[in-house]
Amino acid sequence: MIKPAYRFLRGYCLDPGFSTRLDTASINEGIYRIPFEVLKPGPIGEYVEVIDFDPASHCWYDPVDLGDEEIASQYGLPPSEGNPQFHQQFVYAVAMKTIVTFERALGRKIIWYPRRSPRLAYELYTQQLDPKIHWNLRLTHEGRLKGLPAGLLSEGYVARLRLHPHALRDANAYYDPEKQAVLFGYFVAADQFQGANYPGGLVFTCLSPDIVAHEMTHAILHAIHPLYMEDTNPDVAAFHEGFADIVALLQRFTFSEMVEQQLAMTGGRLDRYNVLGELATQFGEALAGNRGALRSMIGRWTTKDGKEEWEPLKPSPADYATTVEAHDRGALLVATIFDAFQRVYAYSTRDLLRIASNGTGVLPEGSISRELVHRLAEEAREVAEHLLQICIRALDYCPPHDITFGDYLRALITADIDAAPADDKGYRVALIEAFRARGIFPEGVKTLSVDSLRWSGPNFTNKQTKMLSSVINEIKQHIRLLVETTDRHKVYELLRETQLVCQKALLFNKQKAFKEREWEDFLNKLGLTGRPVSKLFGLDSASVRFPYNYNSYVLPIEVGTVRPAFRASREEGRQIEQVLVTLTQRVLVEIGEDGERKRTMPFRGGCSLILRLGTSNEAEYVVGTSIKSYGRFERQRKYLLGEGEGPGPSASLYADDDRPWRINFNLLHRHRADGLSK
Amino acid sequence: MSSSKASATVRMYRLDELGDCFLVTFLAGGKTSRMLIDCGSFRNTTASIARLEKIVKDIKTELAGARLDVVVGTHQHNDHLSGFVHCEKTFRSIGVDEVWLSWLDDPTDRTACRIGKDHNNLMLSLFNARKQLGNGARDGTVAQSLDVLNDMLGFYGAKGSGTPPVLPADAVKILKKLGRKQPQYLRPGCVLDMPGLPPGSVKVYVLGPPRDSDLLYRKDPRNGESYDHALAAQCLTTTKFLEAIEHRAGGDVSSQEEQYPFANSHKRRGAALKSARLKRIRRLYGKPDESWRKIDDDWMNQAETLALYLDTFTNNSSLVLAIELAENRKVLLFVADAQTGNWLSWPAIKWQQDGVKTDDLLARTVFYKVGHHASHNATLVPAFENMINPNLVALIPVHKKDPNITKPNGWKMPAKNLLKHLIAKTSNRVLQMDGKNPASCDPTKDPAKSSWKLVGIKPKVTDMFIELEFSGE
Repeated sequence: MIKPAYRFLRGYCLDPGFSTRLDTASINEGIYRIPFEVLKPGPIGEYVEVIDFDPASHCWYDPVDLGDEEIASQYGLPPSEGNPQFHQQFVYAVAMKTIVTFERALGRKIIWYPRRSPRLAYELYTQQLDPKIHWNLRLTHEGRLKGLPAGLLSEGYVARLRLHPHALRDANAYYDPEKQAVLFGYFVAADQFQGANYPGGLVFTCLSPDIVAHEMTHAILHAIHPLYMEDTNPDVAAFHEGFADIVALLQRFTFSEMVEQQLAMTGGRLDRYNVLGELATQFGEALAGNRGALRSMIGRWTTKDGKEEWEPLKPSPADYATTVEAHDRGALLVATIFDAFQRVYAYSTRDLLRIASNGTGVLPEGSISRELVHRLAEEAREVAEHLLQICIRALDYCPPHDITFGDYLRALITADIDAAPADDKGYRVALIEAFRARGIFPEGVKTLSVDSLRWSGPNFTNKQTKMLSSVINEIKQHIRLLVETTDRHKVYELLRETQLVCQKALLFNKQKAFKEREWEDFLNKLGLTGRPVSKLFGLDSASVRFPYNYNSYVLPIEVGTVRPAFRASREEGRQIEQVLVTLTQRVLVEIGEDGERKRTMPFRGGCSLILRLGTSNEAEYVVGTSIKSYGRFERQRKYLLGEGEGPGPSASLYADDDRPWRINFNLLHRHRADGLSK
Repeated sequence: MSSSKASATVRMYRLDELGDCFLVTFLAGGKTSRMLIDCGSFRNTTASIARLEKIVKDIKTELAGARLDVVVGTHQHNDHLSGFVHCEKTFRSIGVDEVWLSWLDDPTDRTACRIGKDHNNLMLSLFNARKQLGNGARDGTVAQSLDVLNDMLGFYGAKGSGTPPVLPADAVKILKKLGRKQPQYLRPGCVLDMPGLPPGSVKVYVLGPPRDSDLLYRKDPRNGESYDHALAAQCLTTTKFLEAIEHRAGGDVSSQEEQYPFANSHKRRGAALKSARLKRIRRLYGKPDESWRKIDDDWMNQAETLALYLDTFTNNSSLVLAIELAENRKVLLFVADAQTGNWLSWPAIKWQQDGVKTDDLLARTVFYKVGHHASHNATLVPAFENMINPNLVALIPVHKKDPNITKPNGWKMPAKNLLKHLIAKTSNRVLQMDGKNPASCDPTKDPAKSSWKLVGIKPKVTDMFIELEFSGE
């Protein structure tokens, strides 16, 4: 028998609370279409395993068997809040939908962040490993480190992300990077709780498609850009939060039935786009308490002549500069992308509105025709899908660490030029307008135009181009293998090997082709250096304290990723084939004292290389930051010590103690900074 | 010196740990009146109690037979109230005319009672949770939660020893009976005359805690902005959390707990765990080389969130007073431990008396008792920016040797950035309780010395206290 392409599963489109509201009840249940795979009870598939252990309640719940004929023939279990097996099915469905969205946009398979033993993570962080071991660490896997007890310092493949639908008794859900798991909580809604939640009712965070998509995005983003876990500037944590919300929000609009119903319900107000805004508002409400900021960024309810009306919030060019707290800034990013969504939607539905309104473009009050609703919903769905792809693809065009919103805008524009050069519907212009309206400008860009925002190509000399080309030639065999390999575990192992080969090739070719100065010049163009740490910042080095004797220590180059990507464009027949490589270096610097102990900060430099494979092996873009930038170092130091603008990460009293500069999702989700005391 | 113009002396008593104790002496029209704002320290060790006793005796000596005209208890934390428990007798022998507390302590106020009940429940639940969590070794994250829980419960006199967290509540009970007159429960917007002085010579404006029903029932409470139903939500969460903890410890399972979050028929425990359906998935979860992924204890970290919530809530319940020397319009600002939410409510206060403006009070402030031992989130930036008086001076009740501050990853007090701004704004006229001032703020040396001279104040620093005099001119 031929394996079916899809599995269909019933589930909620909005939070279950909306099922109990008459106006949304009919559309809240939808069908999730996800790729078919053989599942074990759990469900346990290729990417995720749902483990329904409820430690607070001291019990397990039976795992759902989606292969069971009685369940499979009914599109899965019917939505029900009181049935834990449905919860398992639902978490699985939304998680897979999110993974598929990412894989399609990225053109490659998701490999979860590997398991690192705590000791290894710590030693890597503090750079206390012998440089030689550190050097070798990238070369081995599965704990096969020479001369060290296995297990103590180990790194291993993680096949499946764990999903625990009932792990906490809290109004919280979070991705735990150390356990490669997402923990969902449940709680009793309080009196006077807003939105659709009813007082005293039980709320399961695992039943909110938004929350599941949000947490899945954290996990996927961590797998793609592990260094974004390091809180190096006010935008990084905000980006993690904002990006997760963007994916959840745009994914909402891919349920046409729901969009259709919402558009129909408020037909008369279409021209003011309140419907979309309202959906986004509900989204903020569903995540109440944690993400109230989102609502205030997009719009708010006001009372006009005794009637409640939703009013979109006008963006101001001062927004970016005045919004400094991580959640607020994250919400600002969501509002920006949402704004772009509205702009493209408006642009692409103008003709429909004119056709339906005798050329005026202004719809009459009252209901509108079914056909029009259907067409509008179709447009909304398409725009949301495209924008989601643009947003995800841009990740590959972002620097490997220390991201800012400005970088992201440039990445969005560059990625989209590659993907869809014609841009018929004006996605890029809409994005630029939305970012401009909120005062988000990339550093060093004079004008906000598509051309000036596009990352510039590398300015390598002929010799350097040749050098890079020969390095790529040496990994070509591996890249071909990577392209052909479908087993994710094999991909992971190949990736490790490729990293090693790439790293060796870099050094080998150095000796072959370059003089010391030429080599340094080449590295500098990649944001790296071959000089000893003690000379890192030139004359400014004297004022910087390093915890170790770094006089002659040359920072190893870490090859973060080598992944081929094949992606389809939204423009017909276009295929983009690229190889993505990240190269980074890191140095540990002393920046002060914390009680008796010294405070250290990792500082990184390096780049994401976007290569076009062909006979010439050219680098199309080099996106990165320099390890030699003293200015950036100072900014990061001040930010971490809370001496910069706005609250620093030290705003929270109980930052992780061993690795203080990491984003703590648990806390990030539960609190705004001013909720923490002391 | 019998000027009709009111003058004031602010004395910050020096505790050897975190704590607040301020004696303010007013002179006007030949009369003297004294206000004591808080008297407490974080720890309840023998040394803490001895120090408090010494301070209260000093107050008695200072008063030379006179009574305290007003005693203010700002909020229910040890480090502000413990002295009233430990030195109750001495206080009785001194004698107190009036006690001022916030409206949250008013037994006739229904909102206050409801909030008080929730607050107490939350605290007791956490206390029980602490006891349960303390049983048996836990993994790292839970140990950290326990640490936070200990810290926060420390504010209620319940550290480790297992004594119930009732010390600040006891203090309030004592305070309610301490005055010769009935205690006054103050609401924001109140304007009072300082007792014992010619009417109108010294006025007291109440800024917090917020009570505006708008703020209390706001549709979208941002953390800390309002506390009523957010508190109720936390209480519910805590109840469920506690039931789970008791269940874990082998206690009785309530019928509600049996059906939470799913009907009992869905729950698999004991023998039912051995079923064929569960076997495979439990084996996966229990694999030794996958033990790093276990989530058995993660849910208990919630204790930390709840503890921090409780702490923020209590700090926000601080009674905030702006005291005006009417003739020369100088304002002394005492904010206790008010955090963001409390500060945010001030601009909207409806004043009992016409013409009063919050911004104007802030603009005329010449003395600022730095909020919450100068933690980063207890001085709201826009309000602080409004303190534009060039003569501004500040006192920080902080002791850098407090174990809470010196421990690894300890409390950031004073917050560096805030201290920097304070120093800039006061032109180096900031003094810390422990005397460990930054070099630029050493009052015996320039630049601080001449800066103090410029505003006509000579800080008096003894082993016992730091004192500032605000003249009637």
